[in-house]
Amino acid sequence: MKKLWYQFKEFFLNNPKAAIGMVLVLGICILCFFAPLFTDYLPNARIARPHEVPSADHILGTTRMGRDVWSQVIYGGRISILVGLVAGIFVMFMAMVVGISAGYFGGIVDNVLSFFTNVVMVIPSLPLMLVLASYLDQVSPLVIAVIIGATSWPFGARVIRAQTLSIRNRDFIHAAEVMGESRRRMVFFEVMPNMLAILGSSFISTVIYAIMTEATLEFLGLGDPLSVTWGVMLYNAQQTSAIRIGAWWEILAPSMALASLAIGLALVNFSIDEISNPKLRAQKIMAKFRREQAKEDKARQAAISTNKALEGVA
Amino acid sequence: MRYLLQRLGFYILAFLVAVTINFFLPRMMPGDPIQSFLARLAQNGGQITPETVTALESLYGYSSSTPLWQQFFSYLYSILNGEWGISTRFFQPVVDVLGRGMLWTLLLVGSFLVLSYTLTTLGGIWVAWKRGSRIDSFVTVGSVVVSSIPAVVMALLLYFIFASDLGWFPTGYAYDPALDPAFTWEFISSVLYHLALPLMAMVLLAMGNIMGMRSNMINQLGEDFIVMGWAKGVPDRNVMLNYGARNAILPVVTAFAMSVGGIFAGSLIIEIIFNYPGIGQIMFQGMVARDYPLIQGYLLLMTLMVLSANMIADVLLLALDPRLRTAVL
Amino acid sequence: MTALIEVKNLCVDYITLNGRVRAVNNVSFTIEEGEILGLAGESGCGKSTIAFALMRLHRPPALISGGEILFNGENILDFDEESLRKFRWKDTSMVFQSAMSCLNPVKTIEYQFYDIFKAHGAVASRQESIVKARELLNIVDIPEERLFDYPHQFSGGMRQRVVIAMALALKPKLLIMDEPTTALDVVIQREILQKVYQLKQQFNFAVLFITHDLSLMVEFCDRIGIMYSGQLVEVAESKAILTQPQHPYTFGLGNAFPTLTGELKAMTGIPGMPLDLSNIPSGCRFAERCFKASELCRQTEPALHYQPERGWAACHQVLPVTARTGQDIPTEDVY
Repeated sequence: MKKLWYQFKEFFLNNPKAAIGMVLVLGICILCFFAPLFTDYLPNARIARPHEVPSADHILGTTRMGRDVWSQVIYGGRISILVGLVAGIFVMFMAMVVGISAGYFGGIVDNVLSFFTNVVMVIPSLPLMLVLASYLDQVSPLVIAVIIGATSWPFGARVIRAQTLSIRNRDFIHAAEVMGESRRRMVFFEVMPNMLAILGSSFISTVIYAIMTEATLEFLGLGDPLSVTWGVMLYNAQQTSAIRIGAWWEILAPSMALASLAIGLALVNFSIDEISNPKLRAQKIMAKFRREQAKEDKARQAAISTNKALEGVA
Repeated sequence: MRYLLQRLGFYILAFLVAVTINFFLPRMMPGDPIQSFLARLAQNGGQITPETVTALESLYGYSSSTPLWQQFFSYLYSILNGEWGISTRFFQPVVDVLGRGMLWTLLLVGSFLVLSYTLTTLGGIWVAWKRGSRIDSFVTVGSVVVSSIPAVVMALLLYFIFASDLGWFPTGYAYDPALDPAFTWEFISSVLYHLALPLMAMVLLAMGNIMGMRSNMINQLGEDFIVMGWAKGVPDRNVMLNYGARNAILPVVTAFAMSVGGIFAGSLIIEIIFNYPGIGQIMFQGMVARDYPLIQGYLLLMTLMVLSANMIADVLLLALDPRLRTAVL
Repeated sequence: MTALIEVKNLCVDYITLNGRVRAVNNVSFTIEEGEILGLAGESGCGKSTIAFALMRLHRPPALISGGEILFNGENILDFDEESLRKFRWKDTSMVFQSAMSCLNPVKTIEYQFYDIFKAHGAVASRQESIVKARELLNIVDIPEERLFDYPHQFSGGMRQRVVIAMALALKPKLLIMDEPTTALDVVIQREILQKVYQLKQQFNFAVLFITHDLSLMVEFCDRIGIMYSGQLVEVAESKAILTQPQHPYTFGLGNAFPTLTGELKAMTGIPGMPLDLSNIPSGCRFAERCFKASELCRQTEPALHYQPERGWAACHQVLPVTARTGQDIPTEDVY
């Protein structure tokens, strides 16, 4: 246990980006999911006069409707994060099923699935989502998650297909095939474990994308205006002309929440890439190399100048 | 040639799929546009006559009396003939309404493409050259952080700070409405002034492309022909550009084709928040009014844009990569 | 003859996250004008690192940490960027191991010739460069109309010949060949080496030839240096290397390859693995794998000593002249 903790500490000390990212993400999750501990107000309760400036009582001020912005931010985060997760899982599931089957089985399966993937990919997803959402009228966050999931899987599917193809052609897979392993076992025990890093990083990018897209759709007025999420907060702020009357806190609060979560996740993702990609890891060695080289150059310069000085004396 | 024809065939098919989606969506969705229109009409105390229903049916392109496949083909026929229906928000043909905004959107997206790809490509080359240095980690982390800010947030913050609060930039329109469009410096500078802030928001959001170019470049720098370039005594700058960047640019072209959809989506949000009168803004007005022909027209137009971008990328790759030329031509 | 290049106590380190690893340790040798020197050894013994260091082409994380490389008396380690750039290819050029990947895939051969001439101010116009490039293609027997082709349109052997033509473009005094034929099939290997030999006679440049194929090397080189884990363990006339090895490692290498002429003998390898360079024992680096190793070998590192008539060797237990032919070391029993 102690050793594990030690390794944990080492990892984050060596990867300040990962550490900052994790702190941001975990901090926001804790604030949101334990929201009642951090605020006395309910997000939908009218508890003050409209558009109150931030004060000790309402640390992020109040909305046009006299609701506490801070409590809206932390309660609203719950749904935003959940939508991100649900859409992320949905997208990853689709991407994995399509990508791995296309890459692993090849042949006609690959042709059909790849064609399908490419077609969905060239149909721009945000406009498609807008069309879907506007037909469904104002939709609940869950429906938004499903719409995001249904339109955003092709990119992941392509990445995973390419990855599967390259793993599939490695020697150990051929060896396992010759030894007569079943296909299902092969996919789950040989191919998938080799893609954990790439699956993890595409999952996180999808969650970022889903959270952003949910906020966008809701901001455009396609969400349910009665639910409390970051996107709906932005929508309400925009609708009530918060910008024009200078109620900066109403815009700033959900914006900062969204941006911090996205930046936190992006930093975590960046670190995963850095750790799993040897070419990027080489950057650390490069930094060390530059230091050592500078030292070496200095020594050489010093040697040259002493030589010159000695020559001068002679 | 066969390769290009194959690609063209794929694009035509993809466009047909988009048309099909457009055709079936309203017929599958619970919110039938005609019913909802009638309901709204009834709410407002309007008269519903059989003539109104037929008029609406012909407006939306379907009728209960003709079979589905016939409807589909006549729909396809009118789409191909540029008859994309009548906007119920603007009471004008969809094609005309979208065409009005297209100029400004193309200006915004076009200048974004030029500015952003120049900046991020050169930036990527530069930090790859300096990799492992302080400036490298600063730029890499900075670009990851900036580009992960959601577009809505970025646009709102820039708008709030620089347009609304500080008043350095205009809060809307593509040019000063007091001016008449003319080829004068006054007009052009007004257009540029109105373009600046939305453009800046889009460029900032795409800063992450530096990372892509950087890693392409680092991959290239490990190649033998780069070392040979140095061995030949070719000056550093020349090796970086003609050997490194010239090869590292190829994946960027592919990535560009894939991101065009996202770029237009970004311009939609930017146009809405900055009140920039492009198609995104028009689409938003249509969406608020549930103007289905306009929304569908927008989807088709965006699909066409993405497909054209892909086609341009295909040709560009052929021009840039002699290996691909030999393989497919 | 005078020394064209003189390497003195060259050390090259690799920077890793766990500290430095010395890949080339205190290596000294000279190459005379017009001479062909071979460097042989197992993979990872530092021979390619030396080749790259001679043009200061070593890539990060490799770092030259000591010694001198004198080219016509000038230390190239003291060159600034510009003089280094001018030195490269004009004075020393290089043929790389991978002809497949050392040409820029998106530029024509013509452009890649022009690049050389332009970088060194050797031509006044593109037209002049084309004329010169055609001549160069001629001397390596490639039809000149292929000048405007792209690298991928050539076969492996042709590409290597294109690279050789490029290497000779500025009439360098030294040509470094880093395993130039490893990726090619045997027939083409020989063709290319014969071509290089013939060109060497014609233009009188010196060659540093690096390979792990000892039999090829013996035929081609004047002298051969044998490397083991970053150190030069023996330097001698090429015939002596094969027939009268002094160092047991050289002896072992000679056994690991068939000779093209002479009787057929059982091939034997050298037991054990090359040294882990991050964990170097005291004493002779080869001691662990050596059949002659004594207590002295395990404790004190041997230095290079000159044996009259035979050459340099770094060994406490130099093998007798008759080692290869004599009965005192029956090879089958030893290995």
